[in-house]
Amino acid sequence: MTTDLVHAIRANLAILQNQPLSGGIVAKNLHISDNGSGELTLYGDFIITLKVLDLTTNGAPNLNSLMTFTQQVITTKLRGGGYKNGVIIHKYNSARKIFDKTKTWTYSIRYNFNFAVNVIQINMLTQIKGNDFVLAVVDSIGHQFTDKYGRRQSSGGLTQGEGGPATVSYNSWQKNKYIGVHEFFHTLSLDDIEDSDKKSRLMYHLADNSGQTISDTERGDMMKFIMVNINDITKINSTNINLNTLSRLRTFLNNPTNGFKFNKTKFR
Amino acid sequence: MASNLTKLSLGSLSIFLFLSCQNATEYKNSVGNKTSDTCRYYRYDAGQIISNLGCKNCHVSFNVDKIDVYGITTWRGLAAMDSLKLIDYAFTKKHKGWCSKNGDFKTAKMDTLSDCEIRSVIRYIKDFGRDIPMPSQ
Repeated sequence: MTTDLVHAIRANLAILQNQPLSGGIVAKNLHISDNGSGELTLYGDFIITLKVLDLTTNGAPNLNSLMTFTQQVITTKLRGGGYKNGVIIHKYNSARKIFDKTKTWTYSIRYNFNFAVNVIQINMLTQIKGNDFVLAVVDSIGHQFTDKYGRRQSSGGLTQGEGGPATVSYNSWQKNKYIGVHEFFHTLSLDDIEDSDKKSRLMYHLADNSGQTISDTERGDMMKFIMVNINDITKINSTNINLNTLSRLRTFLNNPTNGFKFNKTKFR
Repeated sequence: MASNLTKLSLGSLSIFLFLSCQNATEYKNSVGNKTSDTCRYYRYDAGQIISNLGCKNCHVSFNVDKIDVYGITTWRGLAAMDSLKLIDYAFTKKHKGWCSKNGDFKTAKMDTLSDCEIRSVIRYIKDFGRDIPMPSQ
């Protein structure tokens, strides 16, 4: 809670001083409309930044091309907004433009968001801020998992969890260009899929994947994650709070159960 | 002397056999329990239940602290709670009655969840605190 408050104060000071906001998600022009029949539409312009840190031993000659591809796919997949129904939240008072904390209401929420996505390469840890998203490119990942059918599987990418750092093995990324997007969508809260009737989905994570579709529910879940708390829509401009990104990345990379192989001298 | 030794050996053997049989019975029981429990955890399904219930509308997951600036327990805060306390608060008391049939959150339809689904939801929440990585091939 303390870090939340510190971050909120910093973000507000930055706005007052007209300094550009930074972080994984920067939101501008946030506003809301209420159609009076139980549907709220949220509007905003979002800049999403994913920082890529090359930790491979022999370098990654195709990294730029993979990053450009990843940036394009993330932009495409987030386009078109999202929709969630049956959302129970505090009742919105459109006259006063606030959420009334004494009343609750069930809404359908339409996310009418515009996204600009940046996938940029960084070379130093000092370029990572606490509220950044990061994707580390490593030599290999030794982590194995058991799928729902009881089969042992190897990993080409690994993400710590929602909002957390992600990794991808360079060789795996070259073989499957979509792995970078898949891992980043874990960061944006999506889960892996293993159902045999959903092989065409981007989040289907077994070797016989046959497509890259994102469902409306998944898009709605990501929009909800990006918005964080609907009460923030009244702030106009905002940025995501501190995620302890560097500390979490260090812990994640050094966890022996994840079995990462990478050039430790580059982690400086 | 030889007779005493024989008696001692036979006594030890009897105790050993008795304990062996006891353990065998217990093992059989535990296998029996395991096979009768058809509840299997699948992270994606548990996530869909949570998405449909809208748990994360209030208990946000995009926060490393246990309580957010609005004073509400975050997803990480829930993950740090004891499982029994979670079940009691979320499903038995239904959020102080807010999710009961006449409560403010009655449309959350928590009553429709099976015991297996409730257990899956609790594991999903607890796993969040364990930072279990999400892999892809």
